[in-house]
Amino acid sequence: MKEIFTDLYKKVVGFFQIQEKENEKDVEGNRQVACNRLKLVLMQDRTNLTPFLLERMRGEMIELLSKYVEMDTEALELNFEQEGDSMALMLSIPVLRAKDEEEIQELIKLEEEAKTKVIEEEASQEDEEEIFEASEEESDEDIDEDISEEVCSCGCENADESSNSPDEIEEIQDGSAKNCNEKTKK
Amino acid sequence: MGRVIVITSGKGGVGKTTTSANIGTALAKAGQKVILIDTDIGLRNLDLLLGLENRIVYTIIDVVEGRCKLKQALVKDKKNPNLCLLAAAQTRDKSALSQEQLKSICDELKEDNDFVIVDCPAGIEQGFQNAIAGATEAIIVTTPEMSAVRDADRIIGLLEAKEEIESYKLLLNRVRPNLVQSNDMMSVDDVVDILSCSLIGIIPEDIGVITSTNKGEPIVNDEQSLAGQAYQNVAKRIMGEEIDFLNLDEPKGVVAKIKKFFAGLFGKEQKA
Repeated sequence: MKEIFTDLYKKVVGFFQIQEKENEKDVEGNRQVACNRLKLVLMQDRTNLTPFLLERMRGEMIELLSKYVEMDTEALELNFEQEGDSMALMLSIPVLRAKDEEEIQELIKLEEEAKTKVIEEEASQEDEEEIFEASEEESDEDIDEDISEEVCSCGCENADESSNSPDEIEEIQDGSAKNCNEKTKK
Repeated sequence: MGRVIVITSGKGGVGKTTTSANIGTALAKAGQKVILIDTDIGLRNLDLLLGLENRIVYTIIDVVEGRCKLKQALVKDKKNPNLCLLAAAQTRDKSALSQEQLKSICDELKEDNDFVIVDCPAGIEQGFQNAIAGATEAIIVTTPEMSAVRDADRIIGLLEAKEEIESYKLLLNRVRPNLVQSNDMMSVDDVVDILSCSLIGIIPEDIGVITSTNKGEPIVNDEQSLAGQAYQNVAKRIMGEEIDFLNLDEPKGVVAKIKKFFAGLFGKEQKA
């Protein structure tokens, strides 16, 4: 008699355990992994940016942002992601140290001096191509300022959408925080 | 004036030819006059799926090179006189045909037929460009696998760039509901969401497809099979009927589990 009851008890408990397990599976199914990977790769397929151009964009971004923060350029991630119907350019940067205002001001000063020099040279040379390049640099700087406005507690840079370019540039706070943690572990 | 529909996919092995054979047969069974064109030159298989491999005398290449008239090259189906096949040549390659040639063949055939179904080869090269040349509608066949969906996305991009294609629909093949339920396979909704393309059919994975291929008889002729019914519904949707998609889900939820649980309980007690 006792055996029958223990058997029944085990079966009832087992029934609920199975349900819990299935719920867990719902959260972390490899179906979701497939969906996410596919969405990412399709984003890259749909843009006409070649790996070479992406690399160049990455390099330029590092150059710009390193004026304001010291970051782990090796671990910088630049990816396309889907947010609803629109496409977003996700930029995750592990920040090593935020620069002081003095340092930043100094760098800005240096750059402005260099720029005025270039403009002066251009004026004398009247080279159309170089003027074009300089104007490009200016528009890049606008993006740069938007991004560096907010700095989150873990020392990571966190900027919300900046509508400066056709693609949105975002910083995932969670992602960068994780990167930071990994950094400290090492 | 008939409609010219191209069946394409990008990736190979997802079921383009099976889909062409079944949709063609289903449309013909519904009383439509249908021509199936195999454009997979060098790798023809549509004749095998229809069981017509021994009846082919002339191929599409013989037509374009003037060795026979278009009507002579059309092979009538064994069962259904409404259905004809224009076979591909097996000894040539894709360069033997041009876009203009295929377009003029499609234009000629649609004059006195209701449907011209073009079976496209895999890939996005000349064979694909040829196949879509004469079509105004497309059905993109894909399976819920990453590589197939990725290739389908590429095909959608290419079809969108082509002005002549007025509409395209997605056919999701080889769906395995039990794998979707255990979250091991992308669901129909996942694929539709990723490709943002409207559906024309969901075909479940069915062993019957293999056995029917062995016999050279499309699975739509087997009205008991789930895949056959699904293809039948696709044909009806092509003809403009509004039909709900087959419910492929197994019973799910607490009630089903309790039933299963008690079934297990009693099963064991009986043994004891």
